[in-house]
Formats: sequence, structure tokens, C-alpha cells
Amino acid sequence: MAFSKPHIIVIGAGFTGCALAYDLARRGMDVTVIERGEIASGTSGRTHGLLHSGGRYCVSDQESAVECIQENIILRKIARQCIEFNGGLFVALTEEDAAYAPRFAEGAAACGIEIEQISPQEALRLEPNLNPKVLTVFTVPDGSFDPLRLALAFAASGRYFGAQFHPYHEAQVLVFDGQRRVKGVRVLNRTDGSTREVHGDLVVNATGAWAGKVLAGSGAQVNVTPTPGVMVAYDRRLINRPINRLTPPSDGDIIIPQRRMMVIGTTSYEAEDVDYIPVEDEQVQQMYSDAVALVPGVAGCRMRGAYMSARPLVGKGQSGRSLARTFKCFDHLEADGIDGLVTITGGKATTCRVMAEKTADLVCKKLGLSIACETHAYALRSYRDYYTPNGGRP
Amino acid sequence: MENQPSPKKFLYWFDPRHRQPGTWAFILNRITALGLTFYLVLHLVVLSNLTKGAEGYDTFLEFARQPVVKFGELLVIAAGLIHGLNGLRVVLTTFGIGVTIQRQVFWMLMALAAIGTAAFAYVMFFVA
Amino acid sequence: MSHERWTVTFIVSRRKGEQPPHFQSFQLEVDPDEYVLDGVERIWAFHDRSLVFRHACHHSTCGACGMLVNGVEKLTCITPIRSVTSNGGKVKVEPLRNFPVISDLSVDMSTFYTRMEETCAPQVVPVRGSALPYEKGLFEQADPAYERLADCIECGCCISACPVAVTTPEYQGPAVLAAAQQAFSLTGHAGLLEKMDGADGVWRCHSGFECTAVCPSNVDPAWRIMDLRRKVIGRRIKRLFGLAK
Repeated sequence: MAFSKPHIIVIGAGFTGCALAYDLARRGMDVTVIERGEIASGTSGRTHGLLHSGGRYCVSDQESAVECIQENIILRKIARQCIEFNGGLFVALTEEDAAYAPRFAEGAAACGIEIEQISPQEALRLEPNLNPKVLTVFTVPDGSFDPLRLALAFAASGRYFGAQFHPYHEAQVLVFDGQRRVKGVRVLNRTDGSTREVHGDLVVNATGAWAGKVLAGSGAQVNVTPTPGVMVAYDRRLINRPINRLTPPSDGDIIIPQRRMMVIGTTSYEAEDVDYIPVEDEQVQQMYSDAVALVPGVAGCRMRGAYMSARPLVGKGQSGRSLARTFKCFDHLEADGIDGLVTITGGKATTCRVMAEKTADLVCKKLGLSIACETHAYALRSYRDYYTPNGGRP
Repeated sequence: MENQPSPKKFLYWFDPRHRQPGTWAFILNRITALGLTFYLVLHLVVLSNLTKGAEGYDTFLEFARQPVVKFGELLVIAAGLIHGLNGLRVVLTTFGIGVTIQRQVFWMLMALAAIGTAAFAYVMFFVA
Repeated sequence: MSHERWTVTFIVSRRKGEQPPHFQSFQLEVDPDEYVLDGVERIWAFHDRSLVFRHACHHSTCGACGMLVNGVEKLTCITPIRSVTSNGGKVKVEPLRNFPVISDLSVDMSTFYTRMEETCAPQVVPVRGSALPYEKGLFEQADPAYERLADCIECGCCISACPVAVTTPEYQGPAVLAAAQQAFSLTGHAGLLEKMDGADGVWRCHSGFECTAVCPSNVDPAWRIMDLRRKVIGRRIKRLFGLAK
């Protein structure tokens, strides 16, 4: 029986693009991923690598918090290969921080996040390098992951189900069929300078902070505010688990251990050009003093790297911290009268799988298919299979 | 493709730029091995003079007393010391001995080789 | 970071498709405490959008941005410009050696990653025992349940620097042998020793110690190769006396 599989073109191979390619391919579709750089060379690769428990958002943005804890549990099952899971702490350093504790505990309970209050003595036993002046401490199910490898694991699983990845291929312009329907993408092969058109049944714009840029000139629109944050890495690992400051989300509120390092994050500001955002000295200094407040031993460490990552926050006009961290997928038929085009943006690394699930559901709906998502139930392929010649298939 | 490994690239072995003492040792070992092999051939050729009778051999011995030849012999001794002592370092590290101080071991053994060579030079040129 | 400003010439290796590679110069104004990768990224952003390079995390946890900087393998995201040149000086950036070039500064890691996979190299390891034995006391107090991402970030610097890997495509290479050593230490799986006990495994190493010199992530591949040799010899001796299969 001849059955032609729908062909979906995904623009962008960050967390969302890779997870989406995997989800769609697993549902039996032909998937082509177009990526300007390599896997995770934009926002995704530069995340601080915190596997959110949701604790950070359980007061201010409970929708995101619930997504986080649900996906935290799923990712720990399917992506164990690139996650270190030692739990995490929320610590109050001032009376003001401590006053936030009841709201935090209430929010966590409402969102289904398992927390436990422990004594400062117990916290210092768990983390001897913690600031000894901590007042109130909660444990949370935080973890940390390797950003590139998490994206690669999704991409490898996508390849295993037949998705095709084209790194170093830049989507130049959307190709229309004469009416207001997208039929493909004109693609520049950056390794040799050639261009060609790739045609498909549907195009998904999964370019995160670049989502607006990719759509420029197409008539379709999306409201994304690139909101970069600066992070600083130090050359020693003085903690076993992520240490969060017990406050509403703010600058320099977390230290995350990674390999032999610690990463402190982060700030929040708005950027003009998302393609190149400089790291400002003042912010690096601020991160340093915030890190020393949480773990005084940072003062004896050497800075190993300073970098920034541009979050794709959905919406415009408000300050970055108050924009919700949840994601949004748009069918441009409803918003702009353009068919064959879907945009997924916003969200967090921790929630990339469910972002892909919802987007794939939308894709299925548009194509008149009903195929259930299975990505939550199966472990991902080894991330290294992304580079093996046939995606790890025998 | 020119950026991939290939046996044809063996000349890179002898490129000391941006390299560590470990590779200098590796290069020295290659060069001294070639020198010693060449010397072995030469040595056999000279010994083959014996088959031509005593007279031919005496003529050669006379030739061998020249300072230039003596210097050549000194090079052979230096090569032997460098190669042997370096080999010792490789054996030691293979058995896990002195791996973290291999640079220092290298310099120490090369100093030993230099002292040995100087001692031989003294004996060859001033005593014998 | 500082408020100092340097003028530096980046000399970048370029290669597109089947065209022969060449060098292209870009003059940049930089903060000397910026990293080499920042310079490369700025060349892409403001001078030449066709520049292809590999990068992801920008803080040495992913291993994507290994390149040759002034002839030496560096993880460019943590290499300050100050450490490789001076004001008015040059920064020559080339792709890693011993890997096929995809374009410009980007190389194909397929063979390397496949070998790492075949070695079952662990990415998550127990914190205790994750440091090298000669790093006395490091992480030894850690709770046995704590885990962390391993040191090796699969950047390929060691394979690029290895004077033996230049001539032998079949050589497993320092990172893979180091991974085998760590995997064996954790699992005791004898098959790993068998696999690496051969001319293209642990015995190909010529003790150049270049891998350890360029490793940006404390793996010390040379130490691990020597340790693996000891383990391989130990197993051979046991087998000789019929104590192991």
C-alpha cells in the first residue's frame, strides 16, 4: 500500500528543534532539520544546565513550575546519560529571604514539587562550602545536565527514527506556493556556499530567540523578546548540587556544579541584535559578588569563562523577569492567515520535550492525523549516535 | 583529504614546533635509532675488511685514529646513551613509574647522557 | 575582563567545499581578557557571515570549540586572547588536526565519537574516585551517592596533538584509551582491556605526553594510558598463570 509520509521541515536544532525532530520522526513522519550552526550553537548550548525542579518559579509563575517538575521527572528517566542528579538547595541568607520561605513552601506544594526543610547544620553537612550564615534551607529535586549532550541525545534519537539533520545550513527565506501557504525553505549550505530549496508539507520555526528574525519579510509575526543573561564559570567544584538563593527570581540567584566547575547565573536584560551580544564587565563583577554570598569559597577560585545566553521570552513590553517562562506554539494560519507554518518559542531547556510534544500535536492536528506522543516513555539513544554514520541503527 | 591521519605524514614526527619534552624525546629516539642503524651497517662493512687480510684492516685502523672519525664515534656513544636512557624512561612510564614527573625524568636522563658523553670524550681525546 | 583595548589580527583558516584551503586576515579591536572564541564569533557577526565554526556552551563543558590557536590545540571558549598574543599581535586559528574538515574551522567528529561509544565511555560518574589518584584527597570525602559529569568533554584536542595519531588512522587515540581506562576502573569489564591490548590500542602510544599537555579538562590521557598498560600487562600475566580467562 502506498502511503506517503508527511514531510516536516524544522528550522533550528536547539533543544526544541532536536526534541521536535525526535517526536515527529517517532510519530512516523519524514523530518528534515535545517540548522545554521551545529547542534545547540545558539541559546541552547549556553544554558547554565540546571535541570529545574520548578522551585524557582513556584511562586511567581506556577504554570512554568508545574511544567518544570513534570519534565524534570521525565528527563531523569529518558536522558539519564547526561544528567547529574544530586538534588538541590534553596537557601535564605537574609531575614528578607527567610520571610519568603512560607510562600515558597506553599507554592512548591501547590505545584507538586517535593521539598523538605532542613536545618542549617544539616545543610552545612551536605554542603560544607555553603555560606555558614544560612538561615533557612529547603532541599529540592534539582539536577544539572550537559547542554550540548542533552540536545545531541534528542537529535540522535531523531536520527534513529529517520530524521535528517543538516547542520551549517541556513534558512534564508520561506518559499510560498503563490497563495498564502508555505511550501518550503530556501537553504544556504554554509559549507560550500550553494543554495537550494527544500519542500515539505509543513515548516516549523523552532529558532527560539531568532523566531522573529527568521520570519522577517514573510508576513508572519511572532512576539519574542531576546532576553540575555550573563553566566560566569569558576575553575573549582566546591558544591555537589545546585544552590539557589531563596528569593523571587532575580540576578545571580543560583550556582550550579558542572564537571569540575561551578557556574553562577544569571542576569536579565534586553538585547538589540540577538546574533552578537557582548558580555559586560559590570555583570561579570555582579555575578562574582552574588556567587561569593552563596559560597564564600568562590573568592579563592579562578574565573574560567564568562558568557551569555539569550532566552526567548514570549511577549513584549514588560521587563524580562516578569515575562512568563512558559512556551507558546503558534499556528500562523490563525494569527497571520499564513498556512503551512508553525512557530514554537519560549520555554526552558528543562521543558523542551513537552514543548516538542505540544508542537507535534499541533502539526498532527493541522495534517489531520491523530498519532499519540511516546517520547516520555522511552529512553533516548546515546548522544554519540548523532555522529555515527547511520544514527546507531544496525 | 589533507587534514586526516595518513602514514605519508611521517615527516610530522620530526617537527618539534609547539611540542613538549615528551615529543622531543620521541624525535630524539627516532633520530638516534636511524643513526645507530646506519652505524651498525657501517660497522659490518668495516668488519668485512677482516676478510681482506691483516693489511687492509691495519690501513683502516690508521684511518680511524683521525680526530674526525673519533668525533663520529663519540656521536655513536651519545646516540646510544640518549636512545638507551630514553628507552628506560618509556619502560618506566609504561609500568606507571614516574608518569607525573616524566618531564623531570626526561631532563635528568638527558643530563646523564650528556655527562656520560663528556666522560667518554675525555677518555677518548685526552687519556687514550 | 578589563577596559584595556588591543588591536589583534586574526588569521583564520578558510575552506569551502572542494576548494583548496587558504588563510584570511581580520583585524579586530578586542579586550585582551575576552576569549579567542569571542573573537571568532565577532568575525562571523560583523565581518564575514560565511565563517563556519563549531561552538555550544562557551564555558568548557561541551568540548565543541577545540581549535588550533597559534599552532597549539586550545578550547577557544576558555582561552583568553591575552594568553596567546600581545597588543598588535596575531592569532592564527585553524581547525583541529587529524579530523576531516567540514568547512573553515569545523571538523567531523564521527569516527572519534563512534570510538568513544564503542568504549562505553561514561558521561556520568560517581564524584568519589572521579579525580586522578595523584590528585590527593580531591573529592574523596564525597558521599558515595553523589555523581557528576565526567572530565572528558570529547573536544578532540588530544587526538589533534598526538604525534602518533597523525600517521595512523586506525589508532584509537588518547581520549578513547583514557575513556577505556576510566570505564574499566568503574566496571571492571575485562573486554575493554582485550579491546585496547593491541597495536592500534594501548601499545601505539609513543609517550609523547602531548595529549596531557593540551587537555583542557584535567583528564590526563597520558597518565590513564600508562595505567591502562599496567592493567593490560597485569591481565596478561594472570592469564599466563591461568588465573584469568
